[in-house]
Amino acid sequence: MIRGLLAPVTALVLSVLACGDAVAQKGPGAPILSGPLAKLDIKPAQVDTAKGTSKGTLTVAMHFALDPGWLDPLEHSYAITQQMYDYLVHDTMIKPMPYGYVTYGLAEHVELAADFRRAAFRLRPGLKFHDGHALTTADVKWTYENYKGAYAKLFHDKLEHIQIVDDRTIVFHFKEPFIDFMDIYNGGVSGIGWIVPRHYYEKAGRDGFKAKPIGAGPYRLVSQQAGVQMTFEAVDDYWRRTPATKTIVVKGIRDPATRMAGLQTGELDLAFGMTGKVLPRLMADPNLRYDPNFTGPWWLMFPGYNEPGSPFRDKRVRQAVSLAINRPFLVKQETQGIGKPWGNWISSENRDALQGAEAPVPEYNVEKAKQLMAQAGVPDGFEVDYLPFPPYFDMGERIITDLRAIGIRGKLQSLEGPAFRGKINQGRKGVPGNRTIVQNIDPRAGGSKNNIAVYAVCDSPSSFVCEPQIEALWKKHQASLDLAERERLIKSIQKIMLDEHYFVPIYWNPFVHGIGPRVLPEGKAVSKYWDTLNAPYPWPWEVWEVKADR
Amino acid sequence: MATVLERAPSLGGLSRVARRSYRLVADVPAIPLLIVAALTFVAIFAPVLAPHGKLTPVKPTPEQCQAKFGTPSCPYVDNLPPFWFKGGSIDTPLGTDFLGRDVLSRLMYGARISLVVALTGTLFAGAIGTLLGVLAGYMGKWWDQIIMRVTDAWLTLPSLVFAILLSSVRGPGVWNVVLILALVFWSRYSRAVRGEVLALRERDFVKLAEINGIPTRTIIFRHLMPNVMNSVMVLFSLQVGVAVIIEASLSFLGVGVPPPEPSWGLMMAQERESLMDGKWWLAVFPGIGITMLVLSANMLGDWLRVRLDPQLRNR
Amino acid sequence: MRRYILVRALYSVVTLWLLVTIIFGLVRLTGDPVEMKAEAGADAAYVARLKHDWGLDQSLPRQYLSFLGNLLQGDFGHSFEKSLPVRDIYFERLPNSLKLGFAAFVISIVLGVPLGMLSALKVNSWWDSVGKGIALFGLSMPGFFVGLVLIIVFGIQLGWLPVLGKGRSAFVGSDPSTWVLFWFKDWSHLIMPAFALGWYFSGAMLRITRSGMLDVLGSDYIKLVRLKGVPERMVVAKHAFKNSMIPVLTFAGLNLLIIVNFAVVIEVIFNWPGVGQLLYDGLSNRDFPMVQGVVLMSGLMIVVLNFAIDVLYGYVDPRIRLSR
Repeated sequence: MIRGLLAPVTALVLSVLACGDAVAQKGPGAPILSGPLAKLDIKPAQVDTAKGTSKGTLTVAMHFALDPGWLDPLEHSYAITQQMYDYLVHDTMIKPMPYGYVTYGLAEHVELAADFRRAAFRLRPGLKFHDGHALTTADVKWTYENYKGAYAKLFHDKLEHIQIVDDRTIVFHFKEPFIDFMDIYNGGVSGIGWIVPRHYYEKAGRDGFKAKPIGAGPYRLVSQQAGVQMTFEAVDDYWRRTPATKTIVVKGIRDPATRMAGLQTGELDLAFGMTGKVLPRLMADPNLRYDPNFTGPWWLMFPGYNEPGSPFRDKRVRQAVSLAINRPFLVKQETQGIGKPWGNWISSENRDALQGAEAPVPEYNVEKAKQLMAQAGVPDGFEVDYLPFPPYFDMGERIITDLRAIGIRGKLQSLEGPAFRGKINQGRKGVPGNRTIVQNIDPRAGGSKNNIAVYAVCDSPSSFVCEPQIEALWKKHQASLDLAERERLIKSIQKIMLDEHYFVPIYWNPFVHGIGPRVLPEGKAVSKYWDTLNAPYPWPWEVWEVKADR
Repeated sequence: MATVLERAPSLGGLSRVARRSYRLVADVPAIPLLIVAALTFVAIFAPVLAPHGKLTPVKPTPEQCQAKFGTPSCPYVDNLPPFWFKGGSIDTPLGTDFLGRDVLSRLMYGARISLVVALTGTLFAGAIGTLLGVLAGYMGKWWDQIIMRVTDAWLTLPSLVFAILLSSVRGPGVWNVVLILALVFWSRYSRAVRGEVLALRERDFVKLAEINGIPTRTIIFRHLMPNVMNSVMVLFSLQVGVAVIIEASLSFLGVGVPPPEPSWGLMMAQERESLMDGKWWLAVFPGIGITMLVLSANMLGDWLRVRLDPQLRNR
Repeated sequence: MRRYILVRALYSVVTLWLLVTIIFGLVRLTGDPVEMKAEAGADAAYVARLKHDWGLDQSLPRQYLSFLGNLLQGDFGHSFEKSLPVRDIYFERLPNSLKLGFAAFVISIVLGVPLGMLSALKVNSWWDSVGKGIALFGLSMPGFFVGLVLIIVFGIQLGWLPVLGKGRSAFVGSDPSTWVLFWFKDWSHLIMPAFALGWYFSGAMLRITRSGMLDVLGSDYIKLVRLKGVPERMVVAKHAFKNSMIPVLTFAGLNLLIIVNFAVVIEVIFNWPGVGQLLYDGLSNRDFPMVQGVVLMSGLMIVVLNFAIDVLYGYVDPRIRLSR
């Protein structure tokens, strides 16, 4: 289920206006900055002032142990998982919502100078933290300055100074054009936009804050057992609306069979990561529902491919690998037919991602693959190590079986999650040898350029690809301030990567979520909770509705 | 003097063991022995006995493909039930797994892994532990203290630590499990053996050997080791069962034998979710295999212990 | 006697120190936790900050010394993965493990001891064979297999029992009136994991009871009591039973600790929030302080128990304390 093309954040129109009720996109209020502004496409927050009552308990099972550190935005990790907790306990200036990839949150009005050197925000009136303290621009400034998490260095290096105009208005001044600022300040990408209460953090300290956090979000943490369970309760006077569910319990359950059992007995209402062998059971159970929840595409990488002696140096071998994978059958076996064979390694929910005719799904042709192998001088194949993405070892086995048909004999190296990440995050250093195939997936947000910045350029520590053609294009991209040109360059880079088969895309992964019978609305309509783009989890949480407790 | 030594009961310790072994064998419980023998036979001759490969999917018939996918040809047919169910085939008598591989063949190869790993691992553990126990018991003083303190500390280390350690240092593999078993279990032996040796040390034949100036190394290897063999053998046979279960548990947690190798524990782990889906044979057969192997090993060990009881009682 | 106690205490301390050092070294051989936590694309500054926060930018000897120093003050450090102090997390979970361990222990005794005694009393009879068979069967089935079957039969098919474990962070610091309630609340969540765990050890208990009883029944003391004309029932109940319990209790005590500390697989299957899961999570994530803390605590418990047993034996049996 493709959710349609994402409305791009860019289209250049200079707006010079003064007054209120013009373009509803920009939100209410007088302008803050002088001079020409960049066009931003930020959707309005859907505020519902009717005072409802929250009811019921929603029990959610995450697929790994919970980390209290996720409750602290100041040390925000690069991992997208933390955002689940951000959406529960905290709130941010702009964030992805079902209404748009960038939607107003705490901010009601945002401006970005056309030269990208200034960014201005105006907060809504009457914002409060859970303990009743007002949320002001002093907190926004403090959060920015004390931020130590993902992209911290970038934010601090670029910043010149922060200007507090008044309690609700703040302007960031940058040393040089910070064209990506709005992209990364967005709550969907880094943690710096999630506002932390300065008075409380300074009092409680790091540990105290993680044990009992306070934020401006729709839920507050009432209790936690570190690693096991966190219990959240609705904040009735959250500015956007009263949360529909009173209590949300999040459990960390590593084991898919256990999560499945929990769904079946009714102890769980929502379970993440119901993939592989539990999926048929989930689909067959009439009491349960599921959402496909497409995250990102799988792809194969070839560490050390450009070294002499590597069998993957020859483009024909890489192409043969692509031709040998029976994607339709794989999708049927591994994901019960839900997954979609895909032609790109970047999800189409990202801006500027190639898709459709521009990135066609590679064909399945074992004969042609064998011919290519023969032409490349390895008709009998060779042996490789295969590093699957944990815990999808079954999928790794399936792909190895496919490759065996053209002579590539893979030996599965099944590492556990952190060990695998430790290896590939280090790029070339972490995966020695040049006879390895790595299977990876990375649904990161922030536009296609983010994905390229990590995996396709020479100076990224996690990259296995280093090609002069791509470097040249990338340099131009980084130097350019013209959004249309940037888009062109990003697409060209993707085209090269795919045409040369540096990466072999497989299928778009459904990270299926299982839903219990107590979640409302009944039937298929429940899928509306997954409408937020680039979100592997169904946030926001304040809209979730369950039947009242028995 | 020579005659006294000749008559000393411990000389020719090895032939004594041989004679004793013969007496033992005469009384062995038949069924466990048969089971162990059968499993060993299967393990050794798996490549010949197994009807299909352990890694490659079974080539399906057009009827099977038609029944499952609606087309006359397909790469493989997964999750076929055992032949006595509808849809099963005698060609894959115990069914196929999620990748279309023959369960019976994988069970046979799996016997190999379970037996080799358990036996080798326990053997290594026993060898190391016995040697250290003898040293500690006989040499006394500093040897004793250091070995025993390390043993005590080591006993509290969980095997999981070694599992992860070896998996990250050497990469996952079958031999890792052997190393883990050796590294973790030697401490069980050294304690018991040390106790035995402490008692043996006071016996006449040892004292005589010492008086006669026989070198320590000879005393240890020719006199002491053969005499502790009884308890070591009993311990060994009981530990084999434990080893099989530990290997299964580690593979279950994902840190033992890595896929796609067919270890019984791994097969159970991988097909746990299928178990919930009604495809019970995929996880139950390996479970039965493990249970039978461990049961037989334990019964043999028990019988050994009873048989050797009078010797143990001497303490 | 006092000298004996002192010597044993010294041994315990040395053992503990060895354990601490061994685990410190072993755990650092498992890999670099910083690499594993930092996601792809993390910049060098982020990685360096993590390293510094976790104290891994110091030299190895310094890390060791500060680790020891903190230990002596009762500080196990901060968990890398769970961000809070290890001590707090551990003691929050320990009651759950104790609850599970104790329940499994009780089940293993209830199942094992009476059957073992019966086996011993009717030695070599049909009862004995049944008893031995049950024991062996219990020792032969991996705990996770039993757990699996239980979940499917009682949890899903019959729907009688819940399948997810439920512990509570009762005990530490909270209202003392909950301390007793804690053991009995949510007992339906406890039954299956406790049974799966206790099943294995009931086999061992059966065996030990049986051999202990046999030893005692064959002893001269019992022969004397029989000669005196005491009815068989009294022989068993008053004399044999008590004396045979000594090895049983020793073994049982050790078993309890093993159950409490090493029930990882059961905890994973049933999602029981105990210390076994802490160890597993910690090892997977190379969470050095957590692994060190858990291993140390379990080692401490075992060493202290051994010490207590040694002292008890020394007190009871003069030969032991005089011979060393």
